Amino acid sequence: MDTGILDNALVMIAVLGEKSRIISWNHAAETITGYTREEAVGSNRIWKLLYPDKDYRNSVTRQIVEILRTRKYFENLETTIRTRTGESRIILWNTKEIEEKGQFHKIAVGMDVTGQRESDAFRESIIDNAHVLLAVLDPRGNIQVWNKAAEAITGYSREEVIGHRDVWKQLYPDAVYRRGISQQIAGILSANNYFENLETTILTRSGDRRIISWNTRQIGAAGAYHEIAIGRDITAQHMAEAALVGYMAEMAMRINQPVRIIGDNLRETARMVRDGKLEPEEIAMLLDGQVRNAAQVSENVTEFQKALVEKNREIPEAYRKFLGG
Amino acid sequence: MSGVPDIVNPEALEEKRIFLLLSSPDHVRERNIEVIRELSMLGYHTVVITTNFPYSILIKLYRGAGVDPGAVSFIDAVTRNSIGHAENIPGVVHFINNPGNLTDLGIAVTESLKEQSGRKVCILYDSISTMLIYLSSANISKFIHFVTNKLRLMDVSGIFLAVEKGLDPMLMSQLTTFVDTVIDTEEK
Repeated sequence: MDTGILDNALVMIAVLGEKSRIISWNHAAETITGYTREEAVGSNRIWKLLYPDKDYRNSVTRQIVEILRTRKYFENLETTIRTRTGESRIILWNTKEIEEKGQFHKIAVGMDVTGQRESDAFRESIIDNAHVLLAVLDPRGNIQVWNKAAEAITGYSREEVIGHRDVWKQLYPDAVYRRGISQQIAGILSANNYFENLETTILTRSGDRRIISWNTRQIGAAGAYHEIAIGRDITAQHMAEAALVGYMAEMAMRINQPVRIIGDNLRETARMVRDGKLEPEEIAMLLDGQVRNAAQVSENVTEFQKALVEKNREIPEAYRKFLGG
Repeated sequence: MSGVPDIVNPEALEEKRIFLLLSSPDHVRERNIEVIRELSMLGYHTVVITTNFPYSILIKLYRGAGVDPGAVSFIDAVTRNSIGHAENIPGVVHFINNPGNLTDLGIAVTESLKEQSGRKVCILYDSISTMLIYLSSANISKFIHFVTNKLRLMDVSGIFLAVEKGLDPMLMSQLTTFVDTVIDTEEK
């Protein structure tokens, strides 16, 4: 065996003899595990060092035995080793049996995929912990990714959704509405490869209606495109906005209308005074009434301001600041 | 003005219908007086709930318009609020401390209707718009619902006056569900 090739390889390579005794241990194996060639070669002691936890070591052994029962090699077996410095590294193992001078040996090639796995886990964690519905669709429209927020918002689990494309029928059960949305999307996509802030109303598994603002992006190349659909649940925001509009309408009505009424009452009082229809006490009573009305309107305005700024926390911050002056 | 009622349909009144009467702000008082005169001509006793002008002034205006004061009684939510103290006069006027006091207003409606039992009675509420000074639209809506239910149970017709375009669409749509007919007097 060419020791130059073994030593310069960027992956761990160990040649194993009988009972997994180490015959050869390359430089990458030394670097990854922290154990030198001298420590590894000549015995199978290294495996106990790499898998110090007895239960875990036994489970790895059982897996290997199970694989080797049907064939003489294994592929892409992932295990976690403990290095000399106590670090955990994830190794992806592939083996091959070779014959050399009439003797059979196994070559175990171990690729350190720790960084890749951590990066995968980080990516999955980002996808899963995102507070937005995230779905990835393959070119046939089948769902490939359905994150936790998607599960929480829609009520449909990853297991039910992944690999299929019929969740949209459940989310948009009304055929006419669904067709309208599809046409709208097709229209947008014919001009761009994506759409932004498209609002639709979905029906969740529990029967609630939620308003989702969708953004999409296309990823991929050479005709094999995937769609990433990001949906933000804006139901609460819509409700807050509706509440705000309702409140503003109420405020406008309860300020504008009474001020006009007070004006009309005063105008009519003046007319009746000019016509000599009122006694002084009656004039005073009418004016008192309008003073009281005006004071009440002023109190209402103060109450509205307080309610808007302090009580209605659902109102978006920007509106609250605006209303608070 | 002819001798024939032209705001409220007499047959509809006979059927104890409930009306929402919309008027421009300048004509609210005028409409109030016209309706009272029409009701009086049709032989109705009208219980006027006034939240705007004191009963003493309204009665003067009605008299000036040729209405028999005996054909009208009042629930007055203005006078006590203005002069602080006024005694009820059975069959003529019930005073309420404040237009926002819906409990007292409800009691006064019940008592006034009892006092007029056996007569052809109609309630005139003047006006929903003024109530907005003292109550939220949600509370107004609840109160109007309460009063319309009471009128139906007691088999009495009622007319609610409001300024046209002064109510927000939400309150307006609720009110229209409580009444039988909406009359926009400015369209006539």
